[in-house]
Amino acid sequence: MMEKQIHLWAFLQGIGFFPSGWMHERARPEGVFSMDYYARVARLAEQGCFDAIVFGDQLQSRGAGGRTPERMAMPTLDPVSLLAAMAAVTDHVGLVATVSTSYNTAEMLAERFGAMERISGGRAGWNIVTTAHPATAPNFGEDDLPPKDERYRRAKEVVAKACELWAAMDREGPMLPQGRPVLVQAGQSPDGRDFAARTAEAIFCPAANIEAGIDFRNDLRSRVADVGRNPDGVRIMPGLSCVLGGSEEEARAAHTAILDLADDALAIEYLSESLGCDLTAFDPLGMIPVETILDQTILPRADIARAVTPAQEKGTPLGAFAANFMRHPRGHNVFLGTPEQMADMMIEWRDAGACDGFTLQPSYMPGGLEDFVEQVVPILQKRGRLRTEYPGTTLRETLGLSAREAVTA
Amino acid sequence: MTRPFILSASIAEATFAVPETAAPILQAAEAAGLDLLVMGRSGERPFDAQVLLAWAAPMTTRLGLVATVPASNAHPFHVARALSAIDFLTAGRTGWSVIPEGAEDGMAEDMVGAARALWDGWGSDTLILDKASGRYLDAAKVHASNYEGPFFKVAGPVNAMRPPLGHPLLVVDGDDPIAISDADLALIDEDGAAPTATKRLLKVSPDADVASLITRFEAGEIDGVHLTLTNAAAQLPEIGARFTSLVEGRAHEAGDLRRRLGLPIPQTASNQPGGAVIPENA
Repeated sequence: MMEKQIHLWAFLQGIGFFPSGWMHERARPEGVFSMDYYARVARLAEQGCFDAIVFGDQLQSRGAGGRTPERMAMPTLDPVSLLAAMAAVTDHVGLVATVSTSYNTAEMLAERFGAMERISGGRAGWNIVTTAHPATAPNFGEDDLPPKDERYRRAKEVVAKACELWAAMDREGPMLPQGRPVLVQAGQSPDGRDFAARTAEAIFCPAANIEAGIDFRNDLRSRVADVGRNPDGVRIMPGLSCVLGGSEEEARAAHTAILDLADDALAIEYLSESLGCDLTAFDPLGMIPVETILDQTILPRADIARAVTPAQEKGTPLGAFAANFMRHPRGHNVFLGTPEQMADMMIEWRDAGACDGFTLQPSYMPGGLEDFVEQVVPILQKRGRLRTEYPGTTLRETLGLSAREAVTA
Repeated sequence: MTRPFILSASIAEATFAVPETAAPILQAAEAAGLDLLVMGRSGERPFDAQVLLAWAAPMTTRLGLVATVPASNAHPFHVARALSAIDFLTAGRTGWSVIPEGAEDGMAEDMVGAARALWDGWGSDTLILDKASGRYLDAAKVHASNYEGPFFKVAGPVNAMRPPLGHPLLVVDGDDPIAISDADLALIDEDGAAPTATKRLLKVSPDADVASLITRFEAGEIDGVHLTLTNAAAQLPEIGARFTSLVEGRAHEAGDLRRRLGLPIPQTASNQPGGAVIPENA
């Protein structure tokens, strides 16, 4: 019997996973403004037989309290445009764009993804998000986000309507090669998981360790089965970042070197954005200003209190807290070791049912992607865990799903 | 610089939405010496022009790419972001034409105002990208847009970047005009009222008399011509052959469209004007 295959997605938004990644000697911060860069990384992903390239998205300005960060790399170029351009220079790799259901109409979404689906020859995917950042609302003439249950209710309606519109586009022609784009979701809350279970064909999630991956996948698969869908029709793709080295020590040293590129000022900018409150005027050696944070944050206060109060009680200075916070961006698994060890880890997760594959988040770009494609991909291929060529042309074929599938909205 | 004769055409064939058709048409448009290819037009929305523009970016080297944007089915924040990205992908070859059809009166103009305010939130020299000092940008050059019009209220600035052109070229179609006094290009009819714009392109049929067009161009009456393609694959080679004397010598010109076509560089009140400059050797 064929060994369990590992699916790979490349999450390529920005200049890398670590906030300090843009300063790495093999990062190209100027590249993200040029077609040459996108052509190069798209071809690299295809060379590595990745299922798809994924871009996240934000609809708010970066920073906190109206202050624009100076030390954080922050291009958030429109993902649909970047992926459409990448479609023109590749033949097989899927193209998954994150687009909000709260700030687009079904008509806008159907037109954009319908066009992506046609011009890419059936390689389009839509990462459906409801947009949770409060700073988004003023860019769309509103003071506040709609409440969460309202956002999910709207998301269901918008997806169902978009599917009707794609069916109509497909009938009118030119046909949509997959019928409609592949639907992807990344919700973590119970609302988000239920929505994903009904809708998604692939799910992106954080899983800091193998147990978290197993729990998440089991939970999602049972929710998928509960709504009458086949759990094998859903790919679960936790995030994975890495720093590789010739030995474990080398990898750890390289990881430390990336983190050391960040000074307190960058760490505090990153923390400020994550807490939704500008802390850049505070002394890095002083106490964490918890009262100010809870007073000024635009994010849910209870969540923020849970994140900062224990450190304040321990007397951790602001700069040290920010630096530590930045070491573990967004709760994802960060692998440090040799390419062989990384391949072992990936196979272990796959065989344990912790995932169907991984969403690689290179620590800096394009160097981090180059290293993975050159050093880890060949090992996975040699061990029979990663394809050496694409099975077809559409993203659904690449994912091993039925070529044209109807939605269960 | 001598004043360039501007050769423009629009395409709205539904079959342009698939790569097998679009790729040879883009090649033919470049070979014909076209300065601008307008994707979509008033009354015809066979595809999402912004997506096709982005796809066309790496397929072309000098062609100006103009997206029609329906004011009735778009939001300025999304449009400003997409055009910013596409202008980087094309290194300054992007334009847009807002179609008022189906939208309430004033909405198209409001969209233009909002998008410009979103782009103007960034100075042209905002980015630093200095790895040694850790300074990515100069925050003093980033400003909220706080645009408030009759239809759109947008805090901004655009969360992408000022485009290389400053503002992508704004094209106004005389058949479906919008009330903007400082458009870059107007597509005008022989008899119709001409919208105000820096450059005026006369709508002609592919068999128009070239000699008389040259006379009118030299008299300053028009700045070029615009053709409505109905069968692009067949028409583009003919257009290239007939108009070749007008665009000769410019066929391989690169560089941003504002400089090539002699169009003004957008000014802003608070920021360094012009298009975004990306520092090299970061």
